[in-house]
Amino acid sequence: MQPPLRLDPAALMGEIAAFQRKLAAGMDNLKHQLEPEYANTPRELVYREDKLSVWRMKGQGKPTATTPTLIVYALVNTVWMTDLQEDRSMVRNLLEQGEDVYLLDWGYPDAADRWLTLDDYINGYLDRCVDAVRKSAGVEAINLLGICQGGTFSLCYTATHGEKVKNLITMVTPVDFKTPDNMLSSWSQHLDVDLFVDTMGNIPAELLNWVYLTLKPVRLNQQKYVGLVDILDNPKELQNFLRMERWIFDSPDQAGEAFREFIKEFYQQNKLIKGDLIIGGKPVDLGMITQPVLNIFAEQDHLVPPDASRALEKHVGSTDYTQIAFKGGHIGIYVSGRAQREVPPAIHQWLSTRN
Amino acid sequence: MADQASDFLKDYQAMAQQSWDAWTRYLQQQTASAGPFGAGAAAFTPAGTSDDLMARSMAALKGYGDWLQGAVSSGMGQGPADWQQSLQSLFSTLGGQPFAHAFASIDSEAAKSFGQIWQSWMQANPQGMPGMKFDVEHMAAFGYTRERQRLQQALAAAMQDYLEWSGKYQSLIQRANNEGFERLQLKIAELTESSKQVESLKALYDLWVDAAEEAYAKIALSEEFRHAYGEMVNAQGRMRRLQQQQLDAFCRDMGMPTRNEVTSLGKRMHELRREVRGQRPAQEGDEVAALRAEVAALKRQLAGKAETAKPAEKKAPSRSGKRAMDEALDVRHPKASSVAARKTVARGVKRK
Repeated sequence: MQPPLRLDPAALMGEIAAFQRKLAAGMDNLKHQLEPEYANTPRELVYREDKLSVWRMKGQGKPTATTPTLIVYALVNTVWMTDLQEDRSMVRNLLEQGEDVYLLDWGYPDAADRWLTLDDYINGYLDRCVDAVRKSAGVEAINLLGICQGGTFSLCYTATHGEKVKNLITMVTPVDFKTPDNMLSSWSQHLDVDLFVDTMGNIPAELLNWVYLTLKPVRLNQQKYVGLVDILDNPKELQNFLRMERWIFDSPDQAGEAFREFIKEFYQQNKLIKGDLIIGGKPVDLGMITQPVLNIFAEQDHLVPPDASRALEKHVGSTDYTQIAFKGGHIGIYVSGRAQREVPPAIHQWLSTRN
Repeated sequence: MADQASDFLKDYQAMAQQSWDAWTRYLQQQTASAGPFGAGAAAFTPAGTSDDLMARSMAALKGYGDWLQGAVSSGMGQGPADWQQSLQSLFSTLGGQPFAHAFASIDSEAAKSFGQIWQSWMQANPQGMPGMKFDVEHMAAFGYTRERQRLQQALAAAMQDYLEWSGKYQSLIQRANNEGFERLQLKIAELTESSKQVESLKALYDLWVDAAEEAYAKIALSEEFRHAYGEMVNAQGRMRRLQQQQLDAFCRDMGMPTRNEVTSLGKRMHELRREVRGQRPAQEGDEVAALRAEVAALKRQLAGKAETAKPAEKKAPSRSGKRAMDEALDVRHPKASSVAARKTVARGVKRK
């Protein structure tokens, strides 16, 4: 039987020295880095209201799809994850496939937005954004592509404004908020969210980022940066890393009231699947969604466990339901190399038979 | 041989220490020159800005550096026999809490430990509470300053409550730390039955990260953790609310708008906005209904004229009347308006 640790002192010395060398050399590279840019795919403004904007994304050629697709991102983080960098852009990939892509950028709420409710977001802002896209494209109904919390919003919207939605795509979207492996849900169960919002007002992004980091504290807060040392001497990789850091931490605060409602109604009471959710006086019944639905989730998602998304199949009213399990995590589903090869083509293929 | 090994270990530790010190010095140089206004501006720099932020950014690497340093100090790799003892020594060197360090380094302004707030508060109120400490909450309040004393007492009680829950939370983190170490030992022990070996500190570190995260995930999903977590956050909230009340009172005394007042104004403005927006579709609907009624009235009027007028006197609808009708119909539906107008005119001609 051999010993499990074969740590040769000379090799260890070499390892430490190599680490120190890489770090010292890399620090100079860190000094000269500019703020990394996103892909910045050409776009034109279609609609603006308060702090939100709707952009029509422009590809090399004209879109071949006749129905536009509006991407609805979560309120946490920004929609630019879908257009992160030139070679890792879901938006560019969809444009290349011929889709007509619009993005909803929610903007950065401040104290003036403290009282925005889910009704304001879903029946107000989102509805007017959908109308703007319908008008821009000259169609009666559009495709919605909702991501994470934006997927949950899209489900609520489609259930209550179905006539304006032709096809619905949800990506890493929580539907059942109380699966046993949902750590965020577990932590929110004993939270006095009224007290929390009453005393915090808007919920600072920095606080939420801290919560996300504590889902995997050592991996996300330490191991990741140890790995950074290995790429400090590679300008391209370093830029990619810093770009991702920019996206992760450049997050909007959360409007207090909407946060209160989302935690209470969804995380604590799981009303979306219980069928007793009411937003702005409108009952939200997933059974009312009869449009074709494509549900894509990530198998290694630590923020939205796969089962939280899989639950949609059981509750949605559509008879045309497709589910895709992606091998990756919550973010990898947009930016990994495999995601570029697999996800946009799958979306395009699914849409092309339904537009 | 023993002396040779001992010398080697000394050199080895000295080299690691030197390189680590050099890197720390380098970092300090970077942060010292990081301010755009140079060293002279230090007096105007808020505490905990550039140096502090740089230190926070580098905390993760510092944590890993501590790991490497700990491995060297623990004599890891010096004796092949008792790897468990070496591991124990490594964890002792790291203060037994490498996992807790990962938490400490993500402390931020928004998520600042309330322990710090408590300390600041105590420092800011030294005269009011000499020797009272937490017993202040049990002191009967009376006299002119009764209400303020009650608020102070409530705040002291809330802080005490928070510290208790925070302690429970920290003890769970410590448990995750211990169980992570136990899992690491199990993972290493499992290697003895396979042909795999850990051959570098990085590989050992990665194995520890896996073990620590597994242990943490198990605890973090437990009912005990969710309860402690929720109560700790709630205790923070209660404390924050009382602090805000105190601050509001201070602002009122100074003639400054309070957070409460601004929040109330924001709420009223938002409600007003919602009300206005809510009325808009109804108003638009009312306008359409009014226009329809007007069109219907015009039609009736035209039809009535057609019935009563003599054939010789019958004319096509006046230009002004027709335009009014067309415009009204245009509002409703442009296509329908033209059709309706044509039909109306055609009827008039036929009757002629």
